[in-house]
Amino acid sequence: MAVKTAQRQLKTQSAQRTAHSAQPSLIIEQVFIMKNIRFIKFFTAVNTITFIGLLLGFSQFSQAADLTNTDDIIKQANMASYYAGDDGSAQARMIIVDSNGNKQLRQFTILRKDKQDLGDQEMLVFFSRPTDVSGTVFRVQKQVNADDNRWLYLPALDLVKRISAGDKRTSFVGAHFFYEDVSGRNPAEDNFTLLTTTDSVYRLKAEPKNANSVEFAHYIIEIDKQTFLPLLVNYFDQQGNNIRRMEVLKTTKIAGFNTVVHSKITDLTDHSYTEMQFRKVKYNLGLPDNIFSERSLRTAPKAWLK
Amino acid sequence: MSKISIFTKLPLAILFTVTMISSVNAANVTNAVAEDDWADDSWGDDEWQEQASSAWQFSGFAELGQGNFLQDNIVDSSSSLSELRARAEISYSAKTFEFNASGDLLHDQVISDTQWQTRELTLSASPFSMLDVKIGRQVLTWGTGDYLFLNDLFAKDWQSFFSGRDDEYLKAPSNSVRLTAYASDFSFDFAWTPTFTPDNYLTGERFAFYSPISGENIAPGDDFLVEQTRGDQFSLRIATTKQGVEYAVYGYKGYWTTPVGFKASDTSAANTFNANIIKGNVVPTDNQHISAYFPEMNSFGASMRMPLGKGLFNSEFAYYNSVEDSQGDKANIANSQLRILVGYEQELAKDFTASMQYYLEQTLDYQAYQQSYPQSNPLYNSAEDELVDEFRQVLTMRLRYATMQQKLTYNLFAFYSPTDHDSYLKPSLNYRYSDQVSFSAGANLFFGEQAHTFFAQHKDNSNAWLRLRVHY
Repeated sequence: MAVKTAQRQLKTQSAQRTAHSAQPSLIIEQVFIMKNIRFIKFFTAVNTITFIGLLLGFSQFSQAADLTNTDDIIKQANMASYYAGDDGSAQARMIIVDSNGNKQLRQFTILRKDKQDLGDQEMLVFFSRPTDVSGTVFRVQKQVNADDNRWLYLPALDLVKRISAGDKRTSFVGAHFFYEDVSGRNPAEDNFTLLTTTDSVYRLKAEPKNANSVEFAHYIIEIDKQTFLPLLVNYFDQQGNNIRRMEVLKTTKIAGFNTVVHSKITDLTDHSYTEMQFRKVKYNLGLPDNIFSERSLRTAPKAWLK
Repeated sequence: MSKISIFTKLPLAILFTVTMISSVNAANVTNAVAEDDWADDSWGDDEWQEQASSAWQFSGFAELGQGNFLQDNIVDSSSSLSELRARAEISYSAKTFEFNASGDLLHDQVISDTQWQTRELTLSASPFSMLDVKIGRQVLTWGTGDYLFLNDLFAKDWQSFFSGRDDEYLKAPSNSVRLTAYASDFSFDFAWTPTFTPDNYLTGERFAFYSPISGENIAPGDDFLVEQTRGDQFSLRIATTKQGVEYAVYGYKGYWTTPVGFKASDTSAANTFNANIIKGNVVPTDNQHISAYFPEMNSFGASMRMPLGKGLFNSEFAYYNSVEDSQGDKANIANSQLRILVGYEQELAKDFTASMQYYLEQTLDYQAYQQSYPQSNPLYNSAEDELVDEFRQVLTMRLRYATMQQKLTYNLFAFYSPTDHDSYLKPSLNYRYSDQVSFSAGANLFFGEQAHTFFAQHKDNSNAWLRLRVHY
């Protein structure tokens, strides 16, 4: 238990490490955590290692050196975007706007649990809007080394429909967000090159290893140096035209984790777009493993959806 | 007939359109309010807050549907679908239980009737941490087939399926108790339906069907005598998932869900009749004295579903034990069957998914079945060539393509039986104009050489349909 707590704090710490130390409140938080770590240290042998790890972390932080290894940058970005905490929950809504300005809304609650950092994940998506999809539940077992397992529960038919792994770059419930944008594109799918490092961002170019599997020829990603959140991604076709853009419109720090709470994806070929917002974002809730099962499709785990 | 119905339908359609337009306007207003709140980038929009915090939820839709037979049919109406439906859904979610109710107020012009149909009226709770209970009127589904059912013996509505209503209506509700227990990696489902709920099978009221006794298609409607059964149905499923592979075993105790048995409806004559019909030498002089009924049937089976290659593979089998005809020699009762299904689905291109299924239905005790239908039996017009094949096979294919940001979907589902030489095509498209308004169109097309085979008998039931739905 204490080990787990320490691991969590380590994660929290690593998330905080990426933030500016200038904010007084943050310093207080860090001191508080340091105290906690010291406290735990007396009780568990392994904590010596944890403590050293934290110190190393701090030394890295204090140096605040630019990363030069693309793998490290991408790993940290992947971690910050999709693996914050051991688990998490959030309410989300999307507004989908077509090229004629017609709007559609989607509202859902997401539960996520990591099996391993940067590894496999369990995810549940409970739709509440629009009314015709209310009660629909989407379940994903994200697998890094195999195709994801996906299920859809259709309440009107009491049907648990399994969905073939398929193309991850297809629209998620009619939005401009692809399945891959929601659950995370596997970094192993692309070759990255670090283009520039500015005061605030790392700019990288990503080229797909399998060009036939995607609609783009390459993309340019800008990753915040402090938070490691990708803030802007532009996708280009073979002719070098910018065809698609993901931009982060707002981030907030929640429970120590820098979190994207408002983002937008635009199809630049017709200027249709989808905006997505999150609220009630929570981390490290201690979601039990067994809620990520067929049971939750029929009987929503209400206690975790508040 | 058709002139009159056009005049009666027209005002209905106008009324519906006006209602629809007004509700669309209302919806736009609501959206506009919501959008203002989007603009200032906040979640503090009252509507959403309320949605999230209220334990009560209301919703529903109105739908107008019209479908017509594509050729002369012997049924009363020239419409296969002609209805206005208003759905109301209400739910209440408390900490320890959940209440769900939904139903349709349906004005059905095909049968000139207006009625309330309850689709769900349930209380759900988890009295123990590893047990879920759902009691009341509900839709139940399990199994791995797509439009083919082996171990799913819960009620189906074939009339809805043939008329182009939404897929939701293929599953009919039943008054049942469902218990689901969870232990280690297994789930145990048990469903009890105290009063047998049959399929909504074809009666001739909306669609004609082949009668082996008449030797032609009939549309008896109210004259189709079916003796009702009031017994219990018990369904069981034990399921688990190991390394992404889903396994399940099933059991069922109850009745055939369509009336596949015949007997004399006049009880004084019944014994003699039944004895004679079994021997194959009865000559019923008057069809009115024969009624269909639901013979007892028990079944067991298993299924598995797993990722394979780029797609999904599923297989299922079921053994149907026709208890009242365990030797298979009673001509008036369907024989036991073995049903086997294998299927594969794969996304072939972006937003384009194809799937195929192979289905085998083996009639058991086939020799006894053959002998119970002697050529000489005048009850059955041309007995020999109308016998069900010992190994009836069906291939199905589904193609699904979504475009316009998934607002427009095309679907083609095809059944083809290489043994019966007949087929059934279900093309359809659905256009989602907005979150409130959607439009669907499609057809049910039957082909075949012989008058009696499973799909070919419905040739005259071939129809095309349109539906317009507005959510509120």
